[in-house]
Amino acid sequence: MLEIKNLHASVDGKEILRGINLTVNAGEVHAIMGPNGAGKSTLSNVLAGRDGYEITQGEVIYKGENLLDFEPEERAQRGVFLAFQYPVEIPGVSNIYLLKAALNAVRKYQGLDELDAIDFLTLVRSKMELVKMDEQFLHRSVNEGFSGGEKKRNEILQMALLEPSLAILDETDSGLDIDALKIVSEGVNALRSQERSIIMITHYQRLLDYIVPDFVHVLSKGQIVKSGDKELAKELEKTGYSWVDEQPEGVSA
Amino acid sequence: MKQLSELATPFASVAEALIAAEGTAPWLKKLRQDALTHFKTFSLPAKKEEDWKYTSLWSLSQQAFSHHAESVEIAADQVDSVALLHDAYRVVIVDGVFSEELSDIDALQSGLSITALSESVDQLEHCLGQQTELTKAGLNALNTMLMSEGVVISIDSAIEIEKTIEIIVINTGNTANLATHLRHKIELAADAKATVIEHYVGLTPDSYFTDVVTEVNLAERARLTHYKLQQESNNAFHIATLATHQAQASHWLTNNISLGAKLARNDIHSQLLGEQSHVTMDGLYLVDGEQHVDNHTRIDHAVPNTTSDELYKGVLDGNSHAVFNGKVMVHKDAQKTDANQSNRNLLLSRGCEIDSKPEMEIYADDVKCGHGSAIGQLDQDQLFLLRARGLDEVSARSLLTYAFAVDVLTRIPNLSIREALAKVVEQRLPKTGEKA
Repeated sequence: MLEIKNLHASVDGKEILRGINLTVNAGEVHAIMGPNGAGKSTLSNVLAGRDGYEITQGEVIYKGENLLDFEPEERAQRGVFLAFQYPVEIPGVSNIYLLKAALNAVRKYQGLDELDAIDFLTLVRSKMELVKMDEQFLHRSVNEGFSGGEKKRNEILQMALLEPSLAILDETDSGLDIDALKIVSEGVNALRSQERSIIMITHYQRLLDYIVPDFVHVLSKGQIVKSGDKELAKELEKTGYSWVDEQPEGVSA
Repeated sequence: MKQLSELATPFASVAEALIAAEGTAPWLKKLRQDALTHFKTFSLPAKKEEDWKYTSLWSLSQQAFSHHAESVEIAADQVDSVALLHDAYRVVIVDGVFSEELSDIDALQSGLSITALSESVDQLEHCLGQQTELTKAGLNALNTMLMSEGVVISIDSAIEIEKTIEIIVINTGNTANLATHLRHKIELAADAKATVIEHYVGLTPDSYFTDVVTEVNLAERARLTHYKLQQESNNAFHIATLATHQAQASHWLTNNISLGAKLARNDIHSQLLGEQSHVTMDGLYLVDGEQHVDNHTRIDHAVPNTTSDELYKGVLDGNSHAVFNGKVMVHKDAQKTDANQSNRNLLLSRGCEIDSKPEMEIYADDVKCGHGSAIGQLDQDQLFLLRARGLDEVSARSLLTYAFAVDVLTRIPNLSIREALAKVVEQRLPKTGEKA
């Protein structure tokens, strides 16, 4: 599904990612953990194609193609989905419009016709149940006046509708109370499948109690310094991140 | 090169001919003569005048306009294709001449009168020029001395007009560089209620000049919803004054959508003369290329307990230039005035320019007044979110531009008019998109 090879990326001439190597197979859930400033958000933004990052070395192969060659919308159309850490508000654009435009963009790439209004609404309603969202959210402007939890549920709703092959969840647990965390996690768990890979980027182990990963990686100073299974996350919970900065540079497990 | 003052000469000789014409009523002769005298003294405004600081009439002064339209017939379906509404009372003016054939005003609701100015001007002695003054700059004078056509609407007391009235002013381009001078007069008696659209359309890409003054008089508790949709040719000049007197508890909503013209200037003025009167003064301008649009608005809170709410938004692209100058005047003793004014601009290119000047002059001490001006670009985070959901860059930019403009449209109370105007605005976006 995804193969990141020796990926180096800089922002304003400062190197943030310093040789990331990661392979994610179909159906796997990977958690990438790390302290603040490790490069977690840079990695998710680079994968989604946000401007302002210079790739200095390496490549990212997604379904056999070089992902970095594509514009953000081309990546989305090919099934890459980024759930934002801070979903931006878009006054004047209704949620239902965004959902419809996004779904149609993906369907168009897949050579499918646009859904008619009734089929679309039926589909959206079924997905909204998944994240326990009320229908009134469809007609409000995208994220405008939404609480932190509502914004994150809205991200998962978009993911549920678009059914991506690769979902990158960037700090999806941040700003969530325990009830919202449960709803979001249940939504994500319902979307786990043999065809879908998920990368969860998180600072805290808490999320991993609800969405149990197949693999856990520790990111520090722009490199993956340790990889393991879910037990690694529990270890981190006990020891914190202080040890990772003491690792000699260039080590990857 | 002609100076602005020299421009007066050709216009003045047309006016002299009108004044000399046989059958002109003495009061109308005098009205035109006074305007001509004024125009000869002050000519057209120059940039040194504060109200014309950012808008030059130099390019207008270089044109040689014709004042006589060659007769032209256009097909009814051509009018249909430009009309905003299809279930309205329709009044059509083609190249400065009222067309009875293309208009649809035969079966009017009782209590409503719609006539062409050219047919009814003799009966307008009591009201023509009531809402406009021959201000120092000569534009109102120009219109007064030359007005030759327009639409006169009057509504009896307590009559609510159910159908919208759409005035369609078309320039066909059949007469090169035609100047038309129009005067509309809208009178609502007490408790009357109506919706009127002024719609300006160019069927030619060439230069021409539309000069229009609209006078509105709202009696006690009258309610007028007024839209103006300006879709002139991108080489046309459009200079307009819209002036309203509002009596006690009258309500005026005006929405001014400016999309066309090489140079468009609107002077919009409400005088709140009766207590509990209210004006909502909205506008939207989308300009591109070398277009120039200038909206000067003024609201006079002349008595206590009046309210106003003003929202003007602009989208600028290319090398376009927009000017917004909104003055809210709260007169002495106009206590409990509630006035709100906002001008927001979205700049899509490096070459465009906006001069925004919201002004409030307040001479009363117990008032609630707020105003603001904002200028910005498309939000990069919003753009990225849309692209990360699969929308291509052009569609994403177009959608965000529409989203910026849309709140001027959402303030439109009539759903079918709102949808029709939304459609027209969408067609002007970087790339057409569905409405959000």
